[in-house]
Amino acid sequence: MTRGTLIYIGQRLLLITLTALIVSSVVFIGVHQLPGNAFLTERRTNAAAQAALLHHYGLDLPWPVQYVNWLTGVLHGDLGESLVNRGVRITPLVLREAATSATLGFWAMVFTVTLGMSLGIVAAVKQNTLLDYVASFCAVIGYSMPSFVTATFLVLLTVTGFYAWTGGTIYENIGWGKPEQIPVPAISLGLLPSAIIFRLTRASMLEVIRQDYVRTAWAKGLRSRIVVIRHALRNALIPVVTILGPITTSVITGSIVIEYIFGIPGLGKEFINSIANRDYNIVIGVFTFYAILVGLANLLVDLVYPMIDPRIRY
Amino acid sequence: MVNKGETLGIVGESGCGKSVTALSVLRLIPEPGRIVSGHIWFKDRDVASYSREELREYRGNDVSMIFQDPMTSLNPVLRVGFQIKEAMVAHERFDNKTADERVVPMLQKVRISDPKERAKNYPHQFSGGMRQRAMIAMGLSNEPDLLIADEPTTALDVTVQAQIIELLRDLNRDMGTAVVLITHNLAVVASLCTRVIVMYAGRIVESGPTRQIFNSPQHPYTWSLLQSIPRIDSTQHDKLLTIAGLPPDLSNPPPGCLFHPRCRFRVDRCSKEEPPLEEVGPEQAARCWVLMKNALAGAEPVR
Repeated sequence: MTRGTLIYIGQRLLLITLTALIVSSVVFIGVHQLPGNAFLTERRTNAAAQAALLHHYGLDLPWPVQYVNWLTGVLHGDLGESLVNRGVRITPLVLREAATSATLGFWAMVFTVTLGMSLGIVAAVKQNTLLDYVASFCAVIGYSMPSFVTATFLVLLTVTGFYAWTGGTIYENIGWGKPEQIPVPAISLGLLPSAIIFRLTRASMLEVIRQDYVRTAWAKGLRSRIVVIRHALRNALIPVVTILGPITTSVITGSIVIEYIFGIPGLGKEFINSIANRDYNIVIGVFTFYAILVGLANLLVDLVYPMIDPRIRY
Repeated sequence: MVNKGETLGIVGESGCGKSVTALSVLRLIPEPGRIVSGHIWFKDRDVASYSREELREYRGNDVSMIFQDPMTSLNPVLRVGFQIKEAMVAHERFDNKTADERVVPMLQKVRISDPKERAKNYPHQFSGGMRQRAMIAMGLSNEPDLLIADEPTTALDVTVQAQIIELLRDLNRDMGTAVVLITHNLAVVASLCTRVIVMYAGRIVESGPTRQIFNSPQHPYTWSLLQSIPRIDSTQHDKLLTIAGLPPDLSNPPPGCLFHPRCRFRVDRCSKEEPPLEEVGPEQAARCWVLMKNALAGAEPVR
């Protein structure tokens, strides 16, 4: 790694920090605009008790002071305490749930990239064959189906459908914790992005296959596998890697819905619950965490470029 | 027809089928193009009938090719040395280690300075001339019997052009590789090739030893091509000869001789029957009813 690369990484990390600050403050202001507060849902209608609680959590202070207090906590690695489940520290909670979400996200990405790229390559090499047409047609469908629709269909198929067809011997037990519970939510989450990757890989490969240097590779008498993988794919990969940043983002945000549907105790489910409960600290914490994650994913993508294309240097 | 160790030039204006002929020899015609009829004989075997694997073994090993634009003909993401080595490993003539060791001498042979360091470079770190040299090194790395150079100097500037041509001549002499040079630059042909084929609208219209073709061309097209080159001894008032019109649309070719609509020596027969390629002198053949020796002897030019 050169000195230039290190400086570049430093600058990007600084920018990510700045982004996180802006995101957290905007969200901070935003959640406080929501009507009600964390304590209204409870049966403590006593005005004095309410005021005592607000005071206990520092929620009666002016916003800027609250924000600075929150930020001081964050800098010490403490996201504060849950307002609803009293006594629960948010930092370990978020880390535990993030690990769950990361497992789901990882498998969704593996599914997305493997399916999208392999089909994309094959469809480009076998352009205008039946295989190409079928794959492209399916991609349009995958492209236009939001993940919650896919999820609903898959649940219907694997739970109700399998149960009925196999007489109750094989069926999906929705939930989390067992390895066999990973594929269905991962596929629901990864199907749409895999259609995007498929289309991009196919288009990019089609363009590269017609390049002079690919003709040179054929003229050298290389095996077709080497021509396609080493000479064409490597060059076709650049736009595909570019889209991996936004796709990581969409998998992260998509997981919010998917986790809710499949009852997966991840960050996404927590996020939705915390908004409903007005659990300010969790909302802001999770939001900021997402912002940092997206920033890091994009940085990672940018660092992969020079490994693929030697003409790119930082 | 190329003999062992020979240098053959193929000339003709743009779109007359020079490159397609060359690509056909390696069966690299881009889709939807294909070989409809005819044969490509290589050492008594028809390349058109090769299987996939035979074809792969033949490409780059028996016959290799360098292309017009060196800027886009090398893979931008692979090191130059690796791309040369890859050509050798593909044909299993050399094992991995020997191939590695041959890369630097090959680069030296095409006169790239500091070849050891240069082998580690990527194509974008090479100049145009150097890239074409690297292409030549790659083409010759398996010591093929034939090297096809499709307008190898068109994209390069004039001083570099001369160096590349000189390099091709020296390599032809030292390694005994036959060279087919495709170009529309007659000066290049004159300096490098022992034999010339003149093509027009996808057909050979004249072929023969270079000296003979240049001194006494028999086909009016060849004659016109030669007349259209400015000469250093021409006076200010001499008008340069041009060939009026464009090559014919090959999906709707004219009847008879394909050149007759543009030919200033045509006779009635030219628009009715296509002439065969006939011997007109020692080793020289032309596809014409009239022939320049008769045309210039007294027949009236049509235009």
